[in-house]
Amino acid sequence: MSATKRIFIFLAVAVILTSSLAACQQNTQPAGSDPATNNSITIVIPEDPPSFNPVITDTGYDSLVMELTMLGLTDIDQNGNVFTEIAAELPTTENGGVVQDETTGAMTVTWKMREDVQWSDGVPVTADDVIFTYNAILDPNQGSWIPGIDYIDSIEKIDDHTFIIKYSSVYPGYLTQFGGEQVVIWPAHYCDASQGFSAWDCARQPLSNGPFKLEEWVNGDHMTFVKNENYFETGKPAIDSVIVQIVPDQAVRKTMLINGDADLDMWSTEQMIDELKDVPNVEVSMSPDNRWVMRIFFNLAAKGTTNPIATPHPILSNVKVRQAIRMAIDVDTIAKEFFYGYAKPAWTEFFRPPYVCENVARPSFDLEGAKALLEEAGWTDQDGDGVRECHDCRTAEEGYPMEMEFITYSDYGEPLELTQQFVAEKLGGIGIKLNITVVEGSVLWAASTDGGIEQSGNFDMDIWDDGYAGIDPTDYLQSYYSTDAATPDNGYNYGRWSNEEFDSLLEEAYTLDETARLETFCKMATVLDEQVPEALLFTASNADAHSSRLQGVQSSTNDIVTWNAANWTLK
Amino acid sequence: MDDITGLPLEEDDLSVKESPFSGVTRGTWRRFRKHPGAIIGSGIFLILVLLVVLAPLSPYDPEASDMSIRNQALSFSHIMGTDSLGRDLFTRILFGGRISLTVGLIVVSISLLVGVPVGALAGYYGGWLDALLMRITDTFLSLPSFLVLIFLSAMLREVELPLFQRNSVLTIGLVIGILSWMTFARLVRASFLTLRDIDFVSAIRALGGSDFRIIIKHILPNSIGPIIVEATLELGYAIIEESGLSFLGFGIQPPTPSWGNLLSNAQAHFTTYPWLAIFPGLMIFLSIISVNYIGDGLRDAFDPYKVLNKVGEVT
Amino acid sequence: MTYYILRRLIQTVGLLFLLSMILFALVNLSPGGPLAGQGQSRHVQPEKVELLKRQFGLDQPLPVQYAIWLIGNDWMKVDVDGDGVKESNGTRQGILRGDFGFSFRTRKPVLEEIGERLPNTIYLMSITMLTAILLAIPIGILSAVRQYSKFDITVTTFSFAGQAIPEFWLGLILILVFYAWLKNPFTGEALMPSGGITTLGLQGFNLGDRIWHLALPVLTGALGWISWYSRFMRSSMLEVIHKDYLRTARAKGLPRWMVLYKHGLSNALIPLITLLALDLPYIFSGAIFVEYLFAWPGMGRLYYQAAEQRDYPVLMTVLIIGATVIIFSNLLADILYAYLDPRVRYE
Repeated sequence: MSATKRIFIFLAVAVILTSSLAACQQNTQPAGSDPATNNSITIVIPEDPPSFNPVITDTGYDSLVMELTMLGLTDIDQNGNVFTEIAAELPTTENGGVVQDETTGAMTVTWKMREDVQWSDGVPVTADDVIFTYNAILDPNQGSWIPGIDYIDSIEKIDDHTFIIKYSSVYPGYLTQFGGEQVVIWPAHYCDASQGFSAWDCARQPLSNGPFKLEEWVNGDHMTFVKNENYFETGKPAIDSVIVQIVPDQAVRKTMLINGDADLDMWSTEQMIDELKDVPNVEVSMSPDNRWVMRIFFNLAAKGTTNPIATPHPILSNVKVRQAIRMAIDVDTIAKEFFYGYAKPAWTEFFRPPYVCENVARPSFDLEGAKALLEEAGWTDQDGDGVRECHDCRTAEEGYPMEMEFITYSDYGEPLELTQQFVAEKLGGIGIKLNITVVEGSVLWAASTDGGIEQSGNFDMDIWDDGYAGIDPTDYLQSYYSTDAATPDNGYNYGRWSNEEFDSLLEEAYTLDETARLETFCKMATVLDEQVPEALLFTASNADAHSSRLQGVQSSTNDIVTWNAANWTLK
Repeated sequence: MDDITGLPLEEDDLSVKESPFSGVTRGTWRRFRKHPGAIIGSGIFLILVLLVVLAPLSPYDPEASDMSIRNQALSFSHIMGTDSLGRDLFTRILFGGRISLTVGLIVVSISLLVGVPVGALAGYYGGWLDALLMRITDTFLSLPSFLVLIFLSAMLREVELPLFQRNSVLTIGLVIGILSWMTFARLVRASFLTLRDIDFVSAIRALGGSDFRIIIKHILPNSIGPIIVEATLELGYAIIEESGLSFLGFGIQPPTPSWGNLLSNAQAHFTTYPWLAIFPGLMIFLSIISVNYIGDGLRDAFDPYKVLNKVGEVT
Repeated sequence: MTYYILRRLIQTVGLLFLLSMILFALVNLSPGGPLAGQGQSRHVQPEKVELLKRQFGLDQPLPVQYAIWLIGNDWMKVDVDGDGVKESNGTRQGILRGDFGFSFRTRKPVLEEIGERLPNTIYLMSITMLTAILLAIPIGILSAVRQYSKFDITVTTFSFAGQAIPEFWLGLILILVFYAWLKNPFTGEALMPSGGITTLGLQGFNLGDRIWHLALPVLTGALGWISWYSRFMRSSMLEVIHKDYLRTARAKGLPRWMVLYKHGLSNALIPLITLLALDLPYIFSGAIFVEYLFAWPGMGRLYYQAAEQRDYPVLMTVLIIGATVIIFSNLLADILYAYLDPRVRYE
């Protein structure tokens, strides 16, 4: 055989092979419904949800699809208020649903469930499903952890639609413990407990009790949801099908929205809101508040250490320095320029209902005042290099330069990085030199054993957004400001701030008396304002852009826009 | 070494006269000048380098923000417009070019520092050393290099060692470098294999020249052609790879500007402020195309008859 | 030849073993860690961390983790509930028995994840490569035969430009022009789709729709390849044209096209085919930028996501598959070279 022939045989074989390889890409289109009808909407998100169980993965996309398909006892509305889903009513002290034992401090909550909620296969949702869910989470081999689960002594079934949760002490967050944007009730008759809560198949092929049910999931491409005919609210949902399409690139998602190929793009950036405000067929829904407050964390221990008593931070351990830094940050300009006016100043943890403390005044932006505070603290620039040094500052040795690392995380995107650069530049202007670093969030927040920057105290200052979910801040305050949480991996008191007054106030907050709680919280607000363990700056509303034909979209304080998908309609 | 001091003239004479392979000669330069692409490419590249070197002469500070002139289009005072912090884009691009070209230079240096000795030792000594070094080279060549590059740079983004802070210029250069020296090793080995037994080398060896001296003074200069060509092309690859990493978020981290991260940061603004993306992209394009033309010209110049350079393949 | 192939195969096994060790160490020693990378939650509760470590097998020392990854742990007792007592057999079988573990992100078997993505990548990449080759061969031949003609100069210039445009940059521009700016004058809709394999909701297989969706991704992906292969083909052809035997053949009076076809082309194609075999791995590893921009559910995006979120099992599997394909492609290239070029023989 001649070489020429061999080559042509080879080429022919190659062409046939590649064509057949190309053909092996199977046709994965659904045979059933036709989602392209007018009564269908398309949501675009950048990546697949890992599963329908946000407790395990918490990417936000899992919550998005979970809210479409599954119900908890309760859920949270756009303002952070709790409303019922499977529960018939919210148990409170007033209606006798919550009973506190004065002697032991134990708390008993009686939940009554709706009797008309069914799984999409027609099986009713009962107390057994709740107990099944609780046990699955507790499973030491394959389970997981949800907030407050350690306070639960037991869950007892009274009848098919009534059960009692017994807590060992007062747990103020009980209302959303089996609800909210993360926890749902799982079907006992459908999920295989032996596969375990963290890995079971029913988290990827869920049985729905919510407004929609999953019909098809083509990994990396799209998910198709159709109306759940067994949904308990009559006449809902008004939309026949929801397609969740995976589109990684942000610019493409935005263009799809403008072109009318997408109806909803969650978590719009401020820049996008600004660009889309003049597009006729697109609207942006803003949440009333945001749980996340942009804030600067100060490490009170020297960089690389975690004990502020043994190794205090040479610069930040002085409260005057922290106050000066807070005073030198121009929040209004940041909100206007980088967040396009869609951020509002926030200076206390207690800024949204029901716990609003007005006893704390907004700190002023005052560069001269900041300079004066720094001089007072013993930081002056005597060598004229533009950076202050310690001259009798008492927290560092004489001549120590006022230079620190200032970290933020990359995942948030451009506005935060611009904010970081802006803050660093402006503080540099008053003699505080900040070297800026951007890292991945996962590295910033990892456990100290995994080299997490904050937990191992490997930072001076960092800026990111944080806050509490739902309406109850107690768990959050405990894990961010208490002395108990000030050691590595025991909580998120990254600055290792410790204050006896705050600790005792925190203990007082574990009560069901709402008036007393508000009073206690506002006392805390004063302590936090004076001591500045963190400098709170502003909160950027959560926003979701949607097509004008899609009505009823309401962006929520808790980030997940599909919380009321059952109420959406199409124009 | 001492025993050959009596024969320096003859030795040098040998290597110049009888050099049968592609060393640098006067003919090389003449042929290079005749390659129009290479001349234009060199011109563009020289201008780029000059601009980048003179970046500090710009009247604008690459870091200082100015809120009053954010995202402005091209004007006489800002010939490429301003970015989202009101900084002059042209200045940023010039400083970014320093970073991108530095990455390129680091990559090329590492490739040369690792690849040339490995290839030279393997080619000159042969035997078990050759086998060992070539197995190592093969192992590296079997890595899916871009995938490994992505993963390594994703991982090194979080490392905080004295010199390797979170995807600094050096880190990215090193990572790309250690994944690209293999071509040089194979290239050098191939030319050493052919040169080591050639008459004039044997002659020098017979005259008592040490191995080190033979490698450095006689064989290496004669295999310099392909090395220079490959190094030129490598510079282009390094720039494009850094920009690709930046696009994925694994490249050099802001605020240090590089062409790659200037471009990827501008991506979200493309429809609104297109100049932010067009100019860094243009710089990448210009630098790579000019470098490729230079490489092409050099190849023709060093190797006038052998149009095709098949490197390290089965012979 | 058989002996040669056999020897190469044995070397391959050793090489893969070595590579797997290096890669495993690299992947598992990276900072951050999969526990930190669990989604975008601000932090993993400390209560969860210990649980996850055990569930992922990360509580073991690295060599043990490697051994388990390789040969599984179903033959030994492991501690599943974290009480320090090893009570039951593990469930891992190890990659040697085809168990590549489960993805940390989705808790699905890795092979299932890859099985969902690989066909899409092969589909896109094989068409991209095929397009590139089918265009590059004639372009390369023509510009070699008419060296220094206007055609040659244009093509050469374009191929230099094609290699200098970053792929993601080109894709972005194409999307902007054909999806954001240009509209179909009849329907008012965008001229080209923004991405995906087919129009969602389309029933059955529709060739036109497939091609419509393939056009931009293939163009983006193929431009670099076209430039590269056509330049290669050109120089390969030029080299052959200048060979003595071709001059001899022409001197014998054979027509020019006959000489080029019979002797020139086949000899010029041999190196190209070898090169193609060497580029085979790209069909499997995919094109990250194209898949990302055009929302193509392929391997590249799977890998990118795994790298972002430290999904070690997925990372390792893709890397090992990648290395295997590279090694076998090299072997294939050598064999093909010998098969096609009768002058080459291996000992």
